[in-house]
Amino acid sequence: MAATANTASGNEIEKKKSGGNRKKKGAHHIAGYVFISPWLIGFLLLTLWPIAQSFYLSFTEYSLLEDPVWTGTDNYTKIFTNDTTFTKSLSVTFMFVLFSVPLKLFFSLMVALALNKNVRGMNLYRTAIYFPSLIGGSIAVAALWRNMFGIDGYINQVLAWFGIEGIGWISNPDTSLGTLILLNTWQFGSTMVIFLAGLKQVPQELYESASVDGAGKVRKFISITLPMLSPVMFFNLVLGIIGSFQTFTSAFIITKGGPINSTYMYAMFLYEKAFKHYQMGYASALAWILLTIVALLTIINFAASRYWVFYESDGGKPK
Amino acid sequence: MLMLAIMLVLSACSGGGNGGNKEKNTDNKGNKDSGGAKTLSIMWWGPDARHEATKKALDIYTQQNSNITFKPEFMAWDAFWQKLPTLAASKSITDVLQMDAAYIHEYVSRGQLEDLSDLDLNGIVDPNVIDNLQIDGKLYGIPLSQNAQGIAFNKTELDQYGIPHPHKDWTYDEFFQWARDARAKLPDGKYPIGDTTTWDSFNYYQTSMGKSPIMSDGGKTFTLDKDLFMTFYQTYEQFRKDKIVPPAEKAAAFLENDPQADPMASGVVMTRGATTGSVSALEQLMPGKVGVVNMPVGPAGGGWAQSTIFLSVSANSKNKDEAKRFVKWFITDKEAGKALGLTRGIPINPDIYKELEPNLEAKDKLGKELYDLSVDKALPFYSPAAGFSEWVDMYKKEMEAVTFGQQSIEAAYNKIDKMGKELAAKAGSK
Repeated sequence: MAATANTASGNEIEKKKSGGNRKKKGAHHIAGYVFISPWLIGFLLLTLWPIAQSFYLSFTEYSLLEDPVWTGTDNYTKIFTNDTTFTKSLSVTFMFVLFSVPLKLFFSLMVALALNKNVRGMNLYRTAIYFPSLIGGSIAVAALWRNMFGIDGYINQVLAWFGIEGIGWISNPDTSLGTLILLNTWQFGSTMVIFLAGLKQVPQELYESASVDGAGKVRKFISITLPMLSPVMFFNLVLGIIGSFQTFTSAFIITKGGPINSTYMYAMFLYEKAFKHYQMGYASALAWILLTIVALLTIINFAASRYWVFYESDGGKPK
Repeated sequence: MLMLAIMLVLSACSGGGNGGNKEKNTDNKGNKDSGGAKTLSIMWWGPDARHEATKKALDIYTQQNSNITFKPEFMAWDAFWQKLPTLAASKSITDVLQMDAAYIHEYVSRGQLEDLSDLDLNGIVDPNVIDNLQIDGKLYGIPLSQNAQGIAFNKTELDQYGIPHPHKDWTYDEFFQWARDARAKLPDGKYPIGDTTTWDSFNYYQTSMGKSPIMSDGGKTFTLDKDLFMTFYQTYEQFRKDKIVPPAEKAAAFLENDPQADPMASGVVMTRGATTGSVSALEQLMPGKVGVVNMPVGPAGGGWAQSTIFLSVSANSKNKDEAKRFVKWFITDKEAGKALGLTRGIPINPDIYKELEPNLEAKDKLGKELYDLSVDKALPFYSPAAGFSEWVDMYKKEMEAVTFGQQSIEAAYNKIDKMGKELAAKAGSK
């Protein structure tokens, strides 16, 4: 009950605020811009201008050492018609996204459910389980992964107890991408925390009335928890897809994109084009293609969300 | 993604960020007449030992020339070559910078380095060495040291299994036969030699057989001898079957100079490539166990032995005279020589080396030994031509696919040859 009341009063405040702003329109325009100018200048000079520049550079050949030379759409033509590495890195990245996003969502939801209980010392468990995400995509984690999945790593040592001869998980082109997907899944902390917050928001009275109607645990999960969590799940899905497309550190440090390009992520391809082969124009074109892909996927996601995401404020029905 | 896009462009615009540097230089210009204080910016790559030694040498220079101070920047190899192009793009390369034989052509061809031909190096550097280093008749980098490519071997374990040490000037046939014989004597899980997937190993082979290097004439001529290519890699293909080289999966996990993952220090492979400058790092991982021999040779010779590390001066420097004076001092001054030791290989100046010789450590002697073994049969040092860095990566990936059994040697040859020829045509049309 309390939760619903809070939301209502929150909405009222929002309405009052926007109404107030409308009245003062004009008078404080300049003052407003002055107040946000530190951010605005930063945004224009350090974000928008470089983005515009990179768009221009994507139509040039630019080695950094010489001035950019306008080449029209040559970069794009080459990328789409005559660059097998582009196709390869894109397919590697798609595979990565396809597997790691659902796995991570599923895994972090399960952990969040387990942690959403009233048990003594729960905070301690939560901290311990969140901890791996604090160390993030760091070099230390990459080193850990190498020690675990390397040819003489811990995984293979454990397998050896059962008489199984392990393979070099990281150095085998068939399994190397899998180890990176696992790594990404293991770093579920922030996704899990968002799920946990979502779970806390589910009104208890829904469960109570369902119990009265005789619903079991599974039924409650499917009919109450999942629909109530769908906005949070949507949020995690969108961020997960965007984040996975940009995966760089793990591939760069653990596998260096190899063996034989099996973990050559798009972001790494882009980076190497720019800073190893000095083809800034080409790399800029790659960046814009990635932006387009991610934007398209996000639009599709939003379009699809109306069929499965459930907002309480919309009267309880997905459109 | 957005971040990457921003990063790309930021690096493109880094001219603004380096403005401070330029201002400082203009200030200095104003002081020039009065002989006022100057700050020389200097940048190099290397391991910690080199950083410490170089900083010490800079302090000595400041003591001797109180008007000169330094703004040093030092980092590892990868970081250095990532940073340098962005500095070049904004015309803010440091006054003095370390240069490598693998990149100097690229920077010279783009007018980034100052001509140092007028420095008098008589009695400091062997005139033959200078002749060798000239690009279009001009000297763009002061050589700092002698370096050589050879092969390190695990002498302790070879003795243990009764395998003879490789001998100086072994031919490629002898090298391959040595590997076959050693296989028979080594236990499972140990291998006589490593596999090869990089362009330079094959380039050594091709040039030792008297053919021209893969890239020549500044990248305008591309020669990949198909017969030699097939022979070389078919030999290794057979070696993979006979377990003379480690399986591809194992090879992909090796990491040189890592205590656990180094192919040789981990005790898995009995030999690996090493240079005068790098063998000391290996010796430190396995003290007293490392022996050295020169590269296998063919009718034309084999390996290389020459200077590959230089100090250059930026063509856009505002302190060219001071910078030139400093680079000459760097290889002339005895005190500096002592501070620097062998952190860049064997000092190019024979007088300085003579001073250091009595106190050399075992790891340094190994480097000298490698150089002495290599020098009489040495071929020139072949670096990737400007614009071929991508081809270098592609070569390795295609050959990796061969070692994993995913494609035939011939298929790899065709792809590598095609891209090489395309790049050569592009270089020729400029």
